[in-house]
Amino acid sequence: MSFELISNLVAAFFTLCIFSFLYKDNPFYQMAEQLLVGISVGYGVVYSYKNIFIPYFYQPIFLKQQFILIIPALIGSLYLFRLSRNLSWLSRYPIAFSMMSVGAGVPFSMHASILVQMRQAMVPLETLNLFLILIGTISVLLYFYFSKAHTGLYGKFTTLGKWYMMIGFGASFGLTVMARISLLIGRIQFLVVDVFKLLK
Amino acid sequence: MKIFEVLQALDRRYIYLVVALAIIVPLMIPYNSDVVTTPPTENLYQLIDSYAGRSDKAILVSFNHDAATMPELFPMEVAIIRHCFERKIKLFTVSFLAAGAPIIDYAINSVKEEYPDIQSGVHYCNFGYKIMPMITALGMGDNIATTIDTDAEGRKLATLPIMKDIVNYNEMNLIIETSGSTAGGVWITYARAKFGANVAVGVTAVMAADMYPYLQSGQLIGMLTGLKGAAEYEKLVDVFAAYRDDYFPTGRPFSKEILRDESVKKLINITTQTQAAFTPEEYNSITAKYPLQINELNKLKQDKDGQVVFDVSKISPDEQKALGDNLWNVLNKKTYNILYKFKTARIGMNAQSVAHIMIFVFILFGNIGYFISKAKEKKA
Repeated sequence: MSFELISNLVAAFFTLCIFSFLYKDNPFYQMAEQLLVGISVGYGVVYSYKNIFIPYFYQPIFLKQQFILIIPALIGSLYLFRLSRNLSWLSRYPIAFSMMSVGAGVPFSMHASILVQMRQAMVPLETLNLFLILIGTISVLLYFYFSKAHTGLYGKFTTLGKWYMMIGFGASFGLTVMARISLLIGRIQFLVVDVFKLLK
Repeated sequence: MKIFEVLQALDRRYIYLVVALAIIVPLMIPYNSDVVTTPPTENLYQLIDSYAGRSDKAILVSFNHDAATMPELFPMEVAIIRHCFERKIKLFTVSFLAAGAPIIDYAINSVKEEYPDIQSGVHYCNFGYKIMPMITALGMGDNIATTIDTDAEGRKLATLPIMKDIVNYNEMNLIIETSGSTAGGVWITYARAKFGANVAVGVTAVMAADMYPYLQSGQLIGMLTGLKGAAEYEKLVDVFAAYRDDYFPTGRPFSKEILRDESVKKLINITTQTQAAFTPEEYNSITAKYPLQINELNKLKQDKDGQVVFDVSKISPDEQKALGDNLWNVLNKKTYNILYKFKTARIGMNAQSVAHIMIFVFILFGNIGYFISKAKEKKA
């Protein structure tokens, strides 16, 4: 038996184990679920050791003698004190350092997620789509403004915002169904084409 | 009205069974269907294609997902890689997820099998798994070779032939991130905002709604949405990048007119194609080019509607040997048969369409049943 055949048969077995949950919960499903969690963690640990610990810690410090890297390595190792009840406060120092990247990202995120989006909502209303986007943006924003009662003409306008959101949720639901069906299609394609070789 | 009551009380497992059949049957029996391409896909295709044959332009594909979202994202990655290999576009790949790195190898190797002239380090380069996305994205804006240093095979990036004329985002001017969660975040935030790099995304359908604002605001130049986006891209590659004739020996440029043309239909058939049809003029030019195989060709040919037709499925291995590899490839190419791995998404979309109709029917019946039972409750 070739390696490909064995790996396909193993994958097919566990695919069917997971699908068996659709009938009802059973030991095969439980086994597959727990194996997935265990293998994912094991794979992550080994991969991180090979691709992070060795090239970014062991090689620079022990082979290239870049001893300055011992300082960030020590700060990073303080994360391990999360496991100690008394010394867990030490883990806040590496967290504080990592927050620097969050700070560095704020101006860029403001630009990409707020300023550019606002600019695009202020363009001349040359097409119907742009008009609909403008109305939608204002009505949805006002729907979440709760300092004024949603009554009268104002209430009708905020209701329009609610309808915009309903349409958005409907579109999201449709896309979600499409995505879930795609996952099922992928698994069935695997069983039909790769395992049982029913199509060329 | 009893039928609606029965349907309302139907065990969910019957619904699972019907949905499973709605998917299995179209997958087992593929049929030809057209996928209408949309502007976000066309825009991405055109930008990638504009780099064809240029040594000073390249694209980067960031594989930001694991195996769980492969059914939707893998076909689009394969289609993009195939586009690059067909049109000799420099391709870089990277993953900031440990589980994404093996998927890069799988995708590249799947496509590379069909392109023996494509070489690692010359036509494409896999950066492999990298950590710290923000620092990497910012660093590549200054210099890619110093930021990445070594590729997945451990080679110094600066020494690779692919790096000739490639320095930073001015050259590697398009980044495509495929992701099952927030796609394009690091690239839109850093590579685009600070360095003006073009960014596109390939996302699962679930995530598409979140990405439309970025597309509408022009921060994304294109977007592939789930299996549908992958199917659209597969079609564009077949119609343009993989197209070959005397006028376009390395693929033809994108054109809306060609997409509307009837002649496109024979290029996008997703059922298995075995008939290679030649006009008498084309056949004469083949016999002139392969005079030693003329007897073999005459033995195998059939005349149909004024055309010379070969059924490649009926040619035995001995006859293939007699024809020789080159002539055998010419016949195969003329069948316009598409390998399964290059039409996965389109075959999947057939099943998707049938499943959607089934779900629509279920929703319709469910709602009718609900309102009938509500009306009955009111009467009672």
